[in-house]
Amino acid sequence: MMTTQKTEVAVIGSGPGGYVAAIRLGELGKETILIERESLGGVCLNIGCIPSKALIRIAKLKQRIEAAKQIGLEVSGINVDLAKVQTWKQQVVDRLVSGIDYLLKGNNVKVIKGTAKFTGPHELEVTTANGAESIEAKDVIIATGSRYFDLPAFKFNGTTIISSTEALSLKQVPKNLAIIGGGVSGLEMGTMYAQLGCKVSVIEMLDQLLPGTDIDLVRVVERSLRRLGIEYHVKSKANSYRDGKVYATLEDGKEGTFEAEKVLVTVGRRPNSDGMGLETAGVQTDSHGFIQVNKKMQTNVPGIYAIGDVVGPPMLAHKASKEGIIAAEVIGGMNSEADFHAIPGVIFTDPEIATVGLTESQAKENGYEPIVGRFPFTALGRAVLAGETEGFSKIVADKTSNLVLGVHIVGSEASDLISEGALAIEMGATLEDIGFTVHPHPTLPESLMEAAEAAKGKAIHIIQK
Amino acid sequence: MVYEFRLPDIGEGIAEGEVVKWHVKEGDEVKENQPLVEIMTDKVNVEIPSPRKGTIQRLMAKEGEVIKVGQVLIVIADGSSAAATTLIPAAKPVPAIAKPPPSASRQQGISPAPIQAPKPREVLATPATRKLARDLGVDLSLVQGTGRGGRITDEDVRQFKGLPRPVAATVAVAGPRGAEERIQLRGIRRVVAQHMVKSRSTAAQVTHVDEVDMSEVAHLREKSKVSAEKRGVKLTYLPFIIKALIPALKQYPYLNASLDEEKEEIILRRYYNIGIATDTDQGLVVPVIKEADHKSITQLATEITTLSDKARAGQLTLDEIQGSTFTVTNVGGIGGMFATPIINYPEVGILGVHKITKRPVVKDNQIVIRDMTYLSLSFDHRVLDGAMAAHFVNTIKQYLEDPKLLLLETD
Repeated sequence: MMTTQKTEVAVIGSGPGGYVAAIRLGELGKETILIERESLGGVCLNIGCIPSKALIRIAKLKQRIEAAKQIGLEVSGINVDLAKVQTWKQQVVDRLVSGIDYLLKGNNVKVIKGTAKFTGPHELEVTTANGAESIEAKDVIIATGSRYFDLPAFKFNGTTIISSTEALSLKQVPKNLAIIGGGVSGLEMGTMYAQLGCKVSVIEMLDQLLPGTDIDLVRVVERSLRRLGIEYHVKSKANSYRDGKVYATLEDGKEGTFEAEKVLVTVGRRPNSDGMGLETAGVQTDSHGFIQVNKKMQTNVPGIYAIGDVVGPPMLAHKASKEGIIAAEVIGGMNSEADFHAIPGVIFTDPEIATVGLTESQAKENGYEPIVGRFPFTALGRAVLAGETEGFSKIVADKTSNLVLGVHIVGSEASDLISEGALAIEMGATLEDIGFTVHPHPTLPESLMEAAEAAKGKAIHIIQK
Repeated sequence: MVYEFRLPDIGEGIAEGEVVKWHVKEGDEVKENQPLVEIMTDKVNVEIPSPRKGTIQRLMAKEGEVIKVGQVLIVIADGSSAAATTLIPAAKPVPAIAKPPPSASRQQGISPAPIQAPKPREVLATPATRKLARDLGVDLSLVQGTGRGGRITDEDVRQFKGLPRPVAATVAVAGPRGAEERIQLRGIRRVVAQHMVKSRSTAAQVTHVDEVDMSEVAHLREKSKVSAEKRGVKLTYLPFIIKALIPALKQYPYLNASLDEEKEEIILRRYYNIGIATDTDQGLVVPVIKEADHKSITQLATEITTLSDKARAGQLTLDEIQGSTFTVTNVGGIGGMFATPIINYPEVGILGVHKITKRPVVKDNQIVIRDMTYLSLSFDHRVLDGAMAAHFVNTIKQYLEDPKLLLLETD
């Protein structure tokens, strides 16, 4: 006989949306069960953000050590033992997973390992290693995330045609790698493997790399890709993979052939909203399968909430976490809602890209008269001494009010620089607010202060006529 | 269809009202023009009728809450589609400033969903202020920001909601012996409180007191009382005082005036609308006798009776409490010697009329018994000085002590 557990809240999925929601629910004194079919932390922690950034760090470090020869720091005999790197990466992941486990325990969240399925709006059936159990919950948060798309001509086989999951677990650097899809993940992986000594080619179907990203920023990354020897093609279509070669139709209509020990397919993600009985519960999804929610993360069914990738783009861990907190607080009777003005996006290429808010053209579309301040990293003491002079910071503001509308950075540590821009936008800061704030010297954030001044023609370290 | 009904403009200069009583509750069916709610604005109560037929989905304010003109008062579903079960959207969604690039480091690629076009932001407020607004149920798109560039501050949100400045952390202290009762400052009490503070903190108030021999007026009143009663008019001292007040106001126009602080101009009013401070169960209300200078003592008496009855029944219209140029407050019926009334701001003078008692006074070197009273005039020293105030009271006094002089006055 199946046992039935009653609880106040059940959270399905323990990624950065689900586990954060569960912790917040625990803090609010809600009796909570968290259901996870794989590892705590979800894609982000186990096969996404964390492991990819760990490996990217190693690749970047190797590249920097090699480059240091020019400034008098000569290191010879650099050897990358990828198997050992993988062990270290797993330790990083394990340590963070156990941290989450500790936090969940400390907040009295009960974790069940299994796959959940709705049998009614408040009833779940969870298939675990020890059989099925049923859960009855007053409120349910769906935080099931997303998974890769694959391509009919490039079905994942786990060895030669791989997803980012396998690409993050290779024990040896492949000789050559073809990447289908020049989006965020494709370019992050491509940069990393190129820096580790692999010959990389990238095939993108749309008319630019990193589709949707300000082309000004992409140009800087493209230069760096070329320097790393990465061959990339836009408006191109990969057709097949046979005998260790990818065959593609290129932008000029000609056939292209790419040597590829491995083929990495990174062409987007789809929501995990199927096969979990949403129809039984009556939860509505859109034509792409994303669950429809309001600003309180409520679905059309009272008592069912959804957060993170499964409710739609941008598919970002930090968006999921914020939404998780909102859903938990709404369940806890608080008056929370998703009212953020802007969500930062970060791309860990080398140099990095980070953006928040409106681009210049989006600002125009929205009826602003935008002014733009731009400051190159070449004029930044810290960037010069670090040998990281590629890139710039750009601030888009409204001409009449000087309100900061967007901050766009391509350059070293852009991912760490962008939070100042996000804060500025949420606070309704003006150019002066950023420009008048004392920024320590010599640091990279000075570029934001200077960009804010540059928008008004008064930056110090560049000539503005 | 779900219809959001906003508090309509209910009269000149009325920006907000307090919800006194809901006549309906969520889920009720209402007909068009059925009374929905009683709203109190600046001392009068108004019944707001339903603009259409339908089902009440949501009441957007609690009783006692202050809402602004234009703010959503009630949500009515008119049943024209199945929308009755859908969630009601917020009055105005807070727009997202932007959708970031559709993908970034933490995802594995580009999502197939179209990028939603970003919308301009309409409100400028920090995340913490936005949270405060949510907690207080304030629609930020309706709040006028006082910060730089129209930024909405916490204070703006609180004021919009009619809340006072937050008090610094209250320290729990041992209470006094005996019980305490806390009564919410609501309705007329709250309006009176706000007006009095405004008056005291704006005008430079001085009170001038004089004593007046009311014997002649008492005599006159005694003689006319019976004939007035036959006509159904209750003749008090007040109409006589107003009658004596008018020529004094005409002679000293600075008392029938107000100060335009912004333009630094004194506005002299050539019309004479006299406010009558009236005590009601709810608190102080000031109905207005319009064009008092054109009215006879009997007419004034009749109007005072009508207005004070309506005030006590809570039936005054907005028109009946607006537009006074000078106010008289009469506490003589209750007692006391004299008081220092607070000006009915933005007027510049208020005349306190007090108890009339028989007192021995010296007249023509004889001690005689006369009907004596005190008049107390509070005035705004920014607009006039003490000498003028004294002359003004002397003039009133002159007419009251010798009411025959009033015959010489024309309107």
